[in-house]
Amino acid sequence: MSKRILLACAGGFSTSMLVEKMKEEAIKRGEDVFIEACSESKITENLPADIIMLGPQMGHIEDEVKELVNNEMPVTTIDMADYGMMNGGKVLDVAFELMNNG
Amino acid sequence: MSKDADMKIKIQKFASIIQKNRYVNSISDGLASALPVILGGAIFTLIDTINIPAYQNFLESTNLKALTQIPPAITIELLSLYAVFSIAFNTAKQFKSDGFSSGIVALMSFLIVTPIGVLNDDMTMALSFQWLGATGLFVAIIIGVFIGRLVPIILERGLYIKMPKGVPPTIEKSFAALTPAFTAIFTMLLIRGVFEATPFGNVHEFIYSILQVPLTNLGSSWWAYLIIVAAMSVLWFFGIHGTIVVLSVIMPIWTSLGLENLAAFRAGEPLPHMIPGGSFFMVYTALGGTGATIGLSLVLLFAKSKRYKVLGKLAIIPGVTGINEPVMFGIPIVLNMKLLIPLIFTPLVVSVIAIIATFAGIVPPLRGIGLPLGTPLIVNGFLEGGFRVAILQAILIAVSVVMYYPFLRSLDRDALRVEGESTQSASSNSASVS
Repeated sequence: MSKRILLACAGGFSTSMLVEKMKEEAIKRGEDVFIEACSESKITENLPADIIMLGPQMGHIEDEVKELVNNEMPVTTIDMADYGMMNGGKVLDVAFELMNNG
Repeated sequence: MSKDADMKIKIQKFASIIQKNRYVNSISDGLASALPVILGGAIFTLIDTINIPAYQNFLESTNLKALTQIPPAITIELLSLYAVFSIAFNTAKQFKSDGFSSGIVALMSFLIVTPIGVLNDDMTMALSFQWLGATGLFVAIIIGVFIGRLVPIILERGLYIKMPKGVPPTIEKSFAALTPAFTAIFTMLLIRGVFEATPFGNVHEFIYSILQVPLTNLGSSWWAYLIIVAAMSVLWFFGIHGTIVVLSVIMPIWTSLGLENLAAFRAGEPLPHMIPGGSFFMVYTALGGTGATIGLSLVLLFAKSKRYKVLGKLAIIPGVTGINEPVMFGIPIVLNMKLLIPLIFTPLVVSVIAIIATFAGIVPPLRGIGLPLGTPLIVNGFLEGGFRVAILQAILIAVSVVMYYPFLRSLDRDALRVEGESTQSASSNSASVS
């Protein structure tokens, strides 16, 4: 089954930009992966996911999100520089690393 | 730097406490869920009031006017009905309980405390719109949160009348399902009865005059507005989405300010609030996002270093629609002492200019439409207040450019030097380019 990566930020706006970059990169690499963006208040409605990645501006609620999903999947905050430069490849690397180890 | 990081953790804790407070969250999510309704009404207010005689004549002569007036009336002027349901729904969901039954009980409760009148024919019962729009919003919020919390408590604790032995269990259960509604009815009747005995006459009058008016007056003052704007920038400096944290608290006040302006605009009356929070913020302050970073994005387009040039191309289009995460984290602005001054002062300076221009009557007060994030600059200004507002926005964008320019130029020079050094070390004989 293909992996599901869920990105969340305040309104799902800026994460959706990053999702596009990640999808481009995933297609290039031939990865079978489903990537989606949502606002942080809609996380539960967008489950299941194999990993939840928060925009750095939402890093302050990482613990709450972990609690929300009962630690069933890795929850991480995306690196600021990668987020700012919309570095889809790097973020995808991190996602796969965490999903494969977690 | 470690001191900054330490400070950041402390501020993050604080921000998460505010933003993740279940009640604060229920209210802001509840109001946010009602946004499509508000916006529907707002757009039709605009359609209904476009000030072109030929157009108005057309509406009148085709009887379309009778239709275009309906959406604003049943949205903005009935907003509290939508809000009370939506807030109770979201509160119950925060406590992992049944949102729908809480919502519907809350709506009933709201109507119980709202005065019902009889028309002049002494027969027709009528529910006045008086408390159903912006004026009833705080009662809607209070009842929404109260019922949204009460219903889960009753359901969880199993607080219901035990039936004698022999009564089929299903009957006991169906009676149990009535407990929340009956508790709500008794509580609300009690509130209604008590307030009818006071000079206020009803709970709406009471909450409106002792809570809503003072809070909205406070919230519409220029100094409260500037404090809010500064707080957002400070939070963003620490990498926290300051806008959403502060908005979660200020939303009830900003919503009612916007609605009151919109209702007045529709009625053709003078707009009551000079600074209708949400609209004012989107049109004048958050130019290109919190921090009024549009100027920064524009300056980036002309950067000399490769790094910032790439970022500029990436950031400009989202910037025009108010999304500035690329510059916040890409430059970065976050935790960058070199940009702290423009980050804090640019939004304050543009806001002060806009406040002065509004009070001086150079631009009209904004209509309080509250266009959604993503509406491009200038377009949103034009819809919120017409040509003069759009022109002021253009001037403020120029101010933002001037504010950010010197700071970015120095960063750009540094980046160029670093890039020059790396190419130099790669191809040992290139000349320095700084």
